[in-house]
Amino acid sequence: MNTSTFSFGSVLNGRGLFETRELVTIGLFSAAAKASSLMLALAGGGMNPVTLILKSAVHSALLVVLLAKVPKTGTLTLANLVGMLLSFLLMGQHIISLPAILLGTILVEAAVRLAGGLSKRPWLAVPMLAASELLVRAVNVLVSYLTVREQPGLIVMVIAVSAASYVGILLGLAGGVRMAGELRHAGLIQD
Amino acid sequence: MRVSSRIDKYRKDARLAPRPESRLLLTVLASVSSLALSDTLALSLLLAFSLLYLVEECGARLIFLAYAFLAVMMAVCLGFVWVLGFVFEPMRDAPMTMATSPFLRLGVSLNVILPLAMNVKLTNLAAALGGLRLPGIIRLPLMVTIRFIPTILNDLRQLNEAVGIRFRGKKGFFFWLARPLTWWRVFFYPLVVRLIRSADELAMAAELKGLDPGTKFGDQREPFSADDRLLVMLAVLAVALAAAAQLAAPPAPPV
Repeated sequence: MNTSTFSFGSVLNGRGLFETRELVTIGLFSAAAKASSLMLALAGGGMNPVTLILKSAVHSALLVVLLAKVPKTGTLTLANLVGMLLSFLLMGQHIISLPAILLGTILVEAAVRLAGGLSKRPWLAVPMLAASELLVRAVNVLVSYLTVREQPGLIVMVIAVSAASYVGILLGLAGGVRMAGELRHAGLIQD
Repeated sequence: MRVSSRIDKYRKDARLAPRPESRLLLTVLASVSSLALSDTLALSLLLAFSLLYLVEECGARLIFLAYAFLAVMMAVCLGFVWVLGFVFEPMRDAPMTMATSPFLRLGVSLNVILPLAMNVKLTNLAAALGGLRLPGIIRLPLMVTIRFIPTILNDLRQLNEAVGIRFRGKKGFFFWLARPLTWWRVFFYPLVVRLIRSADELAMAAELKGLDPGTKFGDQREPFSADDRLLVMLAVLAVALAAAAQLAAPPAPPV
């Protein structure tokens, strides 16, 4: 790969930042996250706390495995962006909160990069995911507050749903770390 | 696919056939304008116009079901607020009539999201992506995601059937609720192992074919049709009317 001719266009096209195999892996994990959340929503009978927690747990565990497979700065931002763009293309969701979430995720990834990067310190994936998912929920609560600003009491429900899904995220992080360890042991994830 | 055949009965043959980009533009316009506006009359106008769009695009059964669901959700939310009002003093002060605007905003987003979700098929999204002119670093994973969602759904269904055989048909919601760790191991581990193997094979195939994030593909750009122009013009007119109603309204008393 020729990285000597650097230009903004070539960076946007992924040259020098990500290889094709890494982009394919990110795409496939995003597809799995969407498909499994759709399947859980159909099987679990829609909105209930158990389905909500399971959905979040599966989502965060998939992200932990993805970050173990592609430990690069930008992986999380790209995975979040692809997931949100897909929600936008299919359902028109998230477009208001997209810039804030994107900026926050980039900041979190920059902080991890300053702390040594994922390839040197793989355990940083856990605090990074915990922080970025907290941020996603905070932005969503803020956008919901703007929607229900005349009756702020309604925000209580949004906060309850966000808190339940964050519990799922934390459980998924624990499960994901264990799973990434086992997959590494099995030779499916190479260091 | 089973999911799509379930959805098909809620579809309707609409008179207008706009491109996915126009529907997306409408969604963005509706979200931004409904958040910016706060006057009840302005939001009601927006709701009425978006309802016309919904009626044009979706069948009566779906509209009824969606609004019934929205009403139930709002009733549950207001019920919680009412109960919490007994515990927290500040929540008792805001009158329930103040919930009108949030309800109107949710209605507007429902009216524009449903036509998008019902009429834009996953396979047609590739054309929409060409129109959005995304950089290669985003387009490649997004194309992979769109292409592989049906495959992964099929994998999950097969996993579900395999688990059904292993546990002799006990695959109901409450059976797994009592055994979350078993669920995690029998569903999630095979999925992830399969994902990692597929990712490696697919990446190798893509690299052998010379596919690069910079490769241009699926860029089928067509000019906006008369339907697109009509839809976007009507949407802009509706937002302008609602904004005018907001500006003409007397300032709201402080809460």
